[in-house]
Amino acid sequence: MANTKEESPVDGSTLSSNSNVPSQPNNPLSRKLNKILETRLDNDKEMLEALKALSVFFTENSLRTRRNLRGDIERRSLTINEEFARIFKEVKEELESVHEDVQAMSTCCEEMTNRLKAAKEQTQDLIVKTNKLQGENQRLEVRAQVAQAFLAKFQLSSEEMATLRRARDAPVTEDFFKVLSRVKHIHEDVKILLRTNQQTAGLEIMEQMAVLQEKAYEQLYRWAQNECRGLTQETCDISPVLTQAMEALQDRPVLYKYTLDEFGTARRCAVVRGFIDALTRGGPGGTPRPIEMHSHDPLRYVGDMLAWLHQATASEKEHLEALLKQVTLQGVGENMQEVVGHITEGVCRPLKVRIEQVIVAEPGAVLLYKLSNLLKFYHHTIRSIIGTSVASLLMTIEEMHLLSKKMFFNSLSLHASRLMDKVELPPPDLGPTASLNQTLSLLREVLTSHDSSVVPLDARQADFAQVLSCILDPLLQLCTVSASNLGTADMATYMVNSLYVMKTTLALFEFTDKRLEMLEFQIEAHLDTLINEQASYVLTRAGLSYIYNCVQQHTAEQGPLSLLPSMDSSSVKAAMVQFDRYLSSPDTLMMPQLNFLLSAAIKEQIFRQSTELVCRAYGEVYTALTSPANTYTDPETLLPRSPQQVQTLLS
Amino acid sequence: MTAAPYNYSYIFKYIIIGDMGVGKSCLLHQFTEKKFMADCPHTIGVEFGTRIMEVHGQKVKLQIWDTAGQERFRAVTRSYYRGAAGALMVYDITRRSTYNHLSSWLTDARNLTNPNTVIILIGNKADLEAQRDVTYEEAKQFAEENGLLFLEASAKTGENVEEAFLEAAKKIYQNIQDGSLDLNAAESGVQHKPSAPQGGRLNADSQPAKEGCSC
Ligand SMILES: Nc1nc2c(ncn2[C@@H]2O[C@H](COP(=O)(O)OP(=O)(O)O)[C@@H](O)[C@H]2O)c(=O)[nH]1
Ligand SMILES: [Mg+2]
Repeated sequence: MANTKEESPVDGSTLSSNSNVPSQPNNPLSRKLNKILETRLDNDKEMLEALKALSVFFTENSLRTRRNLRGDIERRSLTINEEFARIFKEVKEELESVHEDVQAMSTCCEEMTNRLKAAKEQTQDLIVKTNKLQGENQRLEVRAQVAQAFLAKFQLSSEEMATLRRARDAPVTEDFFKVLSRVKHIHEDVKILLRTNQQTAGLEIMEQMAVLQEKAYEQLYRWAQNECRGLTQETCDISPVLTQAMEALQDRPVLYKYTLDEFGTARRCAVVRGFIDALTRGGPGGTPRPIEMHSHDPLRYVGDMLAWLHQATASEKEHLEALLKQVTLQGVGENMQEVVGHITEGVCRPLKVRIEQVIVAEPGAVLLYKLSNLLKFYHHTIRSIIGTSVASLLMTIEEMHLLSKKMFFNSLSLHASRLMDKVELPPPDLGPTASLNQTLSLLREVLTSHDSSVVPLDARQADFAQVLSCILDPLLQLCTVSASNLGTADMATYMVNSLYVMKTTLALFEFTDKRLEMLEFQIEAHLDTLINEQASYVLTRAGLSYIYNCVQQHTAEQGPLSLLPSMDSSSVKAAMVQFDRYLSSPDTLMMPQLNFLLSAAIKEQIFRQSTELVCRAYGEVYTALTSPANTYTDPETLLPRSPQQVQTLLS
Repeated sequence: MTAAPYNYSYIFKYIIIGDMGVGKSCLLHQFTEKKFMADCPHTIGVEFGTRIMEVHGQKVKLQIWDTAGQERFRAVTRSYYRGAAGALMVYDITRRSTYNHLSSWLTDARNLTNPNTVIILIGNKADLEAQRDVTYEEAKQFAEENGLLFLEASAKTGENVEEAFLEAAKKIYQNIQDGSLDLNAAESGVQHKPSAPQGGRLNADSQPAKEGCSC
């Protein structure tokens, strides 16, 4: 450095001198000098470095050192190079070691590559296999799903199986029916399989389901049977499950029928027991009283029994309707009729025994008649519930109805034949006999009960004719017989009176028109007799009888009337005086029998019509006697009254 | 035996009585069908209907016997009083004669039913206010004097029909609860499910001998 400092001023001076001395450029030394002078040491890095390096060991600028400098530098260079060589040797060794490692690694890699290659070659097969297996697996999975679906469709789950296989006496539940219906569906659906190529499976499943179904039905049947068997209480509420059981069982007609039978039998017991209780025990604290307490009052006794049975039948029908609510089977209506018939069959005997007792005790015609109507009414009422008349209960009621009716008519006939046994003579007043009155009051009673009968109108009309003929025909006969020994007027009066009371008795009731008409005819026949009797009675008493007879029987061969015996003017005149007396008070001439007539109207009618006959008779007499052929002198004085005058006087 | 649910716990038997034409059949029809049947045919003898209704939370089946009011059926209808738990005695508020006959109906009812039978007096045709012939007050008084429940109702409009049947049912139910109606006796007019809860001291009574069927 010091050098540099030192040399700088020299450089400056040199430069200035150079510019001052341009005249000597070709001098070698100067050139050299110039060249040296021009050397810019601070720009020569190499030189600077070299100098810097030199400055480290060339610390002493002396001759000796200057002389030795070269050697020193060379020695120093050698040392550095030796050092250099030594270090590189180390590097080389290191590199060699690295090389070795790399070499080893390469070997290893190669080996691994080989192994990998080998392994790859080996696994190729496996991969192919695996792929194949995976494909297989997928296929199988699909098949498994299909199988699963198949099973779900065509087989029962284990819970479902358990539901079907529950213990015998375990209660049947809603689930049971669900499974049962599934079994049924599977059994149906499986038929599709039979149309595919899965026939074997189809058949197997079908059989399996059939077996399951049978088992289930059997189990259900047992349960329902047991359930029904317990329904022996008077109260009988059908549980919905039982209703459902019947719905299911309808697919097995035999089981269905057996279950119904069981139900019927249980209810039959309940009804019989209820009936006997009602008959013998009555209600709480004795009210209502046991029905049998009223056995002394036949109508009430029988009525109470039948009303009880009517109500029981209605209840049983309701129970049955609840039980079979969901059954869709054809003929379920008939099933019900049959079962209700069966249920009510048990009471037939106790009922029949009791009613028979009542009937056989001969409670009298009227009661028998009322009973028969009551029985008929209940036959009708109970039949409308059962829906058929072939049920035993109805047949029993019908039988009792017929029996009571038969006994009723028997009783009537007996009464009639008793009448005929001792025919009463007509009483002096020619009125109805006591036996007639009595029989008519019986008839009245019967008809009254008939009228107030609970039996529908048409049914009432049916046996009416029989009742009437059973009573009226013997009565008419009786009257005729008892009248047979009487005179004409007495007989006719008696008959009219008797017929009249019959008529008035009948007239109060319905359905008697025919009979009334017949009685009317008979009355009229006897009326004619009475009218004639009365007319001749008047003619006799009024003195016209003889003259009228002569006029009627007169023929031309006999000559004029005036010449006939007792037909001369004076006789006729006397008669006319008598007739005039009659004309002044016609009411006084009346047959005594007419006063016995019960009906004022009839009496009036006889009087009027007989008077007409009298007028007609007078008319004939007048015509004959005023005729010139009969040679009466002065007939106007003989017969002072014209027929018109007579008519006026008498009406 | 089974825990299966039942439809009802009790059956109450009712009878409907009263003169012909007061609307007995219409009341029954209105109650069971909720409809007014204007041209209701004459009742022949006895007809019946049922309905299940709730009484104090209990399902009760009412079995109702509708009788003919005509005199000629009287002998028949009398047999239906036995074992009735409730009686609806009906008159027509527009016809005094039907009201005047009540005492005769009441006599029948008292003689032929048991002392616990609940009788409710019903003045029907309350819709015909303009033709009213019997006042509410006098009927009410009659009912009170005779210990009867009382309502005016109309089978035509349905007014108080439900209530009439319900009031009687409530009273019957009350009789069961306080033990005055013995369910175990036959023909109490009430039948009871063995599975249903019984009221009050009824449980204490032993079951009647109803075992063993002999047929
Ligand atoms: N306006 C009116 N008419 C009624 C009512 N109830 C019944 N009727 C009529 O009264 C008549 C007799 O009814 P019905 O039920 O046959 O009487 P029953 O003989 O007591 O059964 C029928 O014509 C009914 O239409 C009512 O509440 N209001
Ligand atoms: Mg009616």
